[in-house]
Amino acid sequence: MRINRRRLVPYFLLGPGILWLILFFAIPMYFMGRLSLDSGTLETGFHFDWNWANYHDALSLYKTPFVRSFVYAGVATAIALLIGYPLAYAIAFKGGRWKNAMLLAVIAPFFTTYLIRTIAWETILSDQGFVVNTFQSVGILAEGGRLLNTAFAVIAGITYNFLPFMVLPLYASLERIDPSLIEAAKDLYSSPRSAFWRVTLPLSLPGVVAGTLLTFIPAVGDYINAFFLGSTNNHMIGNVIQGLYLTQRDYPAAAALSFVLMAVIMFVVIVYIRIAGSEALMGEEAVAA
Amino acid sequence: MPEKAVEVMRGMRGILISALALGSAIALAACGSGGGIEGGSSSTTASTVQIQGKPSGNLTISNWPFYIDNKTVDDFDKATGISTKYIEDVNDNNEFFGKMQPLLSQGDSGGRSIIVVTDWMAAKMHELGYVQNLDKSAIPNVEKNLVPALQHPGFDPNRDFSIPWQSGMTGLVVNTDLAPDVKSICDLFKPELKGKVDMLTEMRDTVPLVMKCMGVDLSKATEQDWLNAIDKIKQAADSGQIRRFTGNDYTRDLTAGDVDAVIGWSGDAVQLQADNPNIKFVMPKEGCMLWSDNMEIPVGAPNPTAAEAWMNYVYDPKNQAQIAAYNNYFTPVDGVKQIFEKTDPTLAKSPLIFPNSQFTKTCDVAPTIKGAEEQKITAAFNAVVNG
Repeated sequence: MRINRRRLVPYFLLGPGILWLILFFAIPMYFMGRLSLDSGTLETGFHFDWNWANYHDALSLYKTPFVRSFVYAGVATAIALLIGYPLAYAIAFKGGRWKNAMLLAVIAPFFTTYLIRTIAWETILSDQGFVVNTFQSVGILAEGGRLLNTAFAVIAGITYNFLPFMVLPLYASLERIDPSLIEAAKDLYSSPRSAFWRVTLPLSLPGVVAGTLLTFIPAVGDYINAFFLGSTNNHMIGNVIQGLYLTQRDYPAAAALSFVLMAVIMFVVIVYIRIAGSEALMGEEAVAA
Repeated sequence: MPEKAVEVMRGMRGILISALALGSAIALAACGSGGGIEGGSSSTTASTVQIQGKPSGNLTISNWPFYIDNKTVDDFDKATGISTKYIEDVNDNNEFFGKMQPLLSQGDSGGRSIIVVTDWMAAKMHELGYVQNLDKSAIPNVEKNLVPALQHPGFDPNRDFSIPWQSGMTGLVVNTDLAPDVKSICDLFKPELKGKVDMLTEMRDTVPLVMKCMGVDLSKATEQDWLNAIDKIKQAADSGQIRRFTGNDYTRDLTAGDVDAVIGWSGDAVQLQADNPNIKFVMPKEGCMLWSDNMEIPVGAPNPTAAEAWMNYVYDPKNQAQIAAYNNYFTPVDGVKQIFEKTDPTLAKSPLIFPNSQFTKTCDVAPTIKGAEEQKITAAFNAVVNG
């Protein structure tokens, strides 16, 4: 029998990826799912008995940090978009010969590890530090008020740490826009403002959707920022899961919370894509097809 | 082929592939189930180690970092002919337990002959049957030199399975410049310190101290007392009185001036004084918590003979002085002070290294909690610390 080699090529190409995902995603997911339905303690041993109560117990105990994670991540994503869009726009359309240098500056923070950058914020926002002193003397911050270990610090930290994930996809989609389209709008007596709203912005929507997703999804599960920059009242669901795994060793509850987190993120993302429009995500190709 | 049929075939192929992938994942996973973190049986009857002849061979010790000078191990090897591997892989009781538990539950110590853990964890490991009783005939120095205060702890009244390595106090570490009036644990709840207080994530340090502030006699503490104290801590955390819960990193908050007073460890205070002389260990009016890190011989430990030779060696005051001079915690061995009086009189006078009984008389060892009670209390405390 003659096998059509060309037909097999895609599978050879997919092979390594699929194998990798089976080993490091599907199998761990299976174990996590199983673990989330176990009962018992580490001391007495866990046993599998479809203990759905884990989900209910973990959720009712940790509802507040759960909701808080989505609020913080949402606010941080919105701020990152407000900062990131003009930035990406400026680089794409006004960057000129500085384009590459400016892009490099956006990526430069990645040369230092995430952890060190976040710890550096502890020093910057410290009660005796320059920022707090300045804010206090101009009256933005009350005397005796603080920045470190507050919701402000956590959201600011998340925004800072994930900003490049917002800027890069935005830049990519803005850069791709054919300037002659904007010129055409102007030829048709469109004001610069309406050219932006009716041409540039709609064409950059794929970047907006990709950027917000790339920022929002990891931000919800982040715990480093809340750990270093927050107080107990600013802890996010990542901190809770970490504590359950490492100190309390309540593996079933931790696994259950992780699954709920994944499910809720997936739900939010699907709703978001539905609203934002899948064409925006797929780009013009999807519309054309 | 008509176009429609090709479409359908393509669709089916996709489904087939994903079904295959999922199927093999589950098949692979099924092979592994039963292992992993599951399992773990408990038996409470501990066996006694078998001492055989003259100590020799290899010895592996797991201890906490910054706990030993760089000469003692070599000296011990030279004196006994034992070849010792001293590893510093204990950073946190819970974490270390999490790492060791799967091995210990199979009767395997991972090659370790001695592990060093804090009192409550030492007790818990004994409870689970993970440690062996000691043969006291091989450790005469311990019998002779162990300080009286540490001879009969509640969890091991006859020191059958645990021997203290070093001890310390948990109390107040205060920046006396910023908060000169902090003298008691109750002071940490005063409005003028709002947002300027850290407490430890180590439950058995923080909660008993707060119980003391609430007037609870720790030797009679009930589950409700623990939960009441946790509730008091929760209210303080919710209102912003407590800035955060930390491990050792409260030292950063103190030196940066972000907090004025914390619940902290005596050894850290000594080290912080080098940077800022205003940072002091303050004995709380209610008393402090006393703890020890204990050497234990786990089940399945190779060469217990050499392990006991080590215990005996470090309980010789001469050898212990070398360790104590390095780590500045308080030593469980009698006779070290007399040595320091000759070699280093300032060390001999430090109340943090040699606390007299008057200084520590209001101090307690954390009460033991176990089983369902422990689980409930831990869950309540972690809900405050994490969420």
